[in-house]
Amino acid sequence: MTEAFLLSFRLASLTALTLLVLGVPLAYALVFKRVPLKPLLEAVLLLPLTLPPTVLGYYLLVLLAPEGVLGRWGLDWAFTFQGIWLGSVIFSLPFALTAFREAFQAVEPEVLEVARTLGLSTLKRWRRVLLPWVWPGLLSGTLLAFAHTLGEFGVVLMIGGNLPGETRVASIYIFDLVQALEFEEAARAASVFVLLSFVLVLGVRFLEARWRSITGSNAR
Amino acid sequence: MEIDYRLERPLKLHARLMVTGLTVLLGESGSGKTSLLRALAGLLRASGRPFDGLRPEERRVGFLPQGYALVPHLTALENVALPLAGREARAEALRWLERVELAPLALRRPAELSGGERQRVALARALALRPRLLLLDEPTSALDASTREAAVDLIERVVRAEGLPTLLVTHDPYVAARARSLAVLEAGTVRQQGDPEQVFARPATLGIARLVGFSNVFAGRVRRHVEGGVEIATGEVVVYAPTKTPPPPDAPVHWGVRPEEVMIVRPDRPLAGPVARNRLEVQVRRIVRKGLAYTLRVEGPLALDVTLPRHVQDRLRLAEGDRIEVALKPRYVHLFSSEASS
Repeated sequence: MTEAFLLSFRLASLTALTLLVLGVPLAYALVFKRVPLKPLLEAVLLLPLTLPPTVLGYYLLVLLAPEGVLGRWGLDWAFTFQGIWLGSVIFSLPFALTAFREAFQAVEPEVLEVARTLGLSTLKRWRRVLLPWVWPGLLSGTLLAFAHTLGEFGVVLMIGGNLPGETRVASIYIFDLVQALEFEEAARAASVFVLLSFVLVLGVRFLEARWRSITGSNAR
Repeated sequence: MEIDYRLERPLKLHARLMVTGLTVLLGESGSGKTSLLRALAGLLRASGRPFDGLRPEERRVGFLPQGYALVPHLTALENVALPLAGREARAEALRWLERVELAPLALRRPAELSGGERQRVALARALALRPRLLLLDEPTSALDASTREAAVDLIERVVRAEGLPTLLVTHDPYVAARARSLAVLEAGTVRQQGDPEQVFARPATLGIARLVGFSNVFAGRVRRHVEGGVEIATGEVVVYAPTKTPPPPDAPVHWGVRPEEVMIVRPDRPLAGPVARNRLEVQVRRIVRKGLAYTLRVEGPLALDVTLPRHVQDRLRLAEGDRIEVALKPRYVHLFSSEASS
């Protein structure tokens, strides 16, 4: 059980971190910059939200297979940890992106503009104005992505299969146990999940409240 | 400071004006006042002097937008310290807060301050930049009447003490009246600039007249020249207007009279002299109470707005439907230049 949970944690942490690095600039650009074909881009980025995980998993499997389009370019990641990491990143992107975008949308562009007239460089504007304003939103988005990846099943199973220590994450481990009628072990693993999810959701709620107290403070 | 700016977007605008002390730029909403300020701050693409080609960070122009743009998670003191650096930053920020009489609230966040207090924080912050030019966008629009006066007082005082060129845009004639110099933006250009009194008394165009409170404006034709002025025919009404530069006979002109300066003739007190000329029989159509005064809409040969102080109405007790006589004192009848006919 420990191995499966550790793998789940590794996958969720890496995915959340990747989304933080990738999603924050993306969300910033979507909110503050003029992006060509913005609605189309947003629709593509939010697509995994409505797509069945198995469908997304299927396409990724085909692409990442050794003879697949990406597989031939060295990304033959089918049934590997990298494969389920890529799948998780794509699958959780809409959740993280939506949270990040909301955080940036609460920022009044005028405040950033006036900060420029006050002589603050880009770096200083991020450090003193923007980040303190949006960090709870960014962190809550990251936690959401983490929690979402932890509970990930369909995409991971399609791309990664069920290799202990490589792709068999906790959710698949529980599925396996039930298939093998090992209900006692399944119950223990499931209860760990309940506890984990509860703590995570609590954390997100706390951050949301904190974030609202910052953004709400700008009401005129 | 002489300003000469051209904008193409979001609207075409060419503004040339002098900013000396508290200079007010008056203009209707949508006339491009805010765009001009944003251009001067470097936030909107434009060409012109001064600051041409400089980024907002390099201009040292203090800009107070309508919403004040305070950083919500910083205290008043931290907001004011934003443009400052070094170990003295906090002490200096506090000195600026003292200047706007807000030092006791230094540790409050914007959410814990009133609208007027937020504005003063924003003012202190802009001053802390030691700007070469200060820009204020509609500083009174979000304030109630009592705060408004105090706000204008403070701005005027600070600007004078600092000797700071300040451009304040507004559509509020009350604020305009407090300016050292008043400029009016109309149809994408500065149409008139001068002493506020002069602009209020002698608006150069029809649009400016409306902006500074002339609501009774009429088109007419010069009928003939008479001693010290002209007679203007508007429909069947002939009005005498004094002028030193009479337009030629038959020329189309616009003339107007402020609602505050229309007199109601009391039957028991006959009028003498030139006033007797500009008299009209009208009927009261509508009476609306506005603060401590009443606005009457009267109709006859001309339709006029008339402002009546409360004490006058208390005496006359006019009612809708009453037939009365009004007089337009020649010295209050104002002729506008012919370019205003558009």
